[in-house]
Amino acid sequence: MDNIASHENWKSCFSEIGPGLLLFARQWTRSAADAEDIVQEAFVKFWRRNHRINNRALLYATVRSIALDFIRRDKRRARREATVFADADSTVEPQFEWEDEAKSALAAAVSCLPHDQREVLVLKIWNELTFSEIAGALGISQNTAASRYRYALANLKKSLQPQ
Amino acid sequence: MNDFPELENELRALRPARPSPVLFERIEESMLEAGKTSVASSARWSWRRFTETPYRFGIGLAAATAAVVLLLARISTDQTRNEDKEIAQVAPASETRPVLPAFSGGSGVDGSMSSNKFVPAGATQVVYNTRNEGLQFAAGSRQPLRRLRYQTQQTWQWRNPSTGASLRVSYPSEEVVLIPVSGQ
Repeated sequence: MDNIASHENWKSCFSEIGPGLLLFARQWTRSAADAEDIVQEAFVKFWRRNHRINNRALLYATVRSIALDFIRRDKRRARREATVFADADSTVEPQFEWEDEAKSALAAAVSCLPHDQREVLVLKIWNELTFSEIAGALGISQNTAASRYRYALANLKKSLQPQ
Repeated sequence: MNDFPELENELRALRPARPSPVLFERIEESMLEAGKTSVASSARWSWRRFTETPYRFGIGLAAATAAVVLLLARISTDQTRNEDKEIAQVAPASETRPVLPAFSGGSGVDGSMSSNKFVPAGATQVVYNTRNEGLQFAAGSRQPLRRLRYQTQQTWQWRNPSTGASLRVSYPSEEVVLIPVSGQ
């Protein structure tokens, strides 16, 4: 998986990183369908430019940039959706596959994290990026990435503690 | 750093939702489309490159000359407006070489001279219509020729690297190509 230019290996590559990419794209969208549109556009764009797959920071930066464009392009719709979903959180499609109540609670706690912390957490835990790569993808410093990650974990632990 | 190992393990145990199979199909289609586009485009350009005729060459030369004349006219207009400023050359020689830094030495020309240099930044030719005008016979020849008429939009761009200013000349053109048709 050194170079992603070959048309033979994109499926195996996408099978491996697809779920993480999709989860990352879901940070900006309310529906899995929109996230899939973003991931499709980003992945094809990345692939066509023959970037190396190990340049993960660039791949995630591409997803982020397309997601932000998507929001700008579809501002009116996003605003309408945000209003609707703010009133009915239960209708948000699941971002994780969980089997029990504990995991369901953990997934819900992740969804409640502030956006900047959740973004770093998603890249670190489910996409296995280093802080250096996260910093590159998000355009922040490594220290900021690391501290956002720590805050995210601390907030999660706090929210999962029994009252 | 790692103050929350258990929590991290629990988080890793959560599996992100998998992409739908439809997404794979959609990406595959996009990949194929992208491949087709690039192949078609390169095939068209190679075909065009190797079907040069003297007639078409003449039209191309005329178009290029017109573009240079337009550029020179534009620059001389600017020169008239700003008599105190010197306009650098926009000659064919500069089109193939990077712009050299302006001299600020003994000639008395100051650094601002380089701000008037334009270098070619791109040229495109978009074929927006192709018409087959049928077969015809050249005088004294028994071999039929197919007459194709291309309507194109040509665009030439120059850029001033020091100021970022750019100049674009775009004009429609028509080209007629005669292709010998071999008998079966």
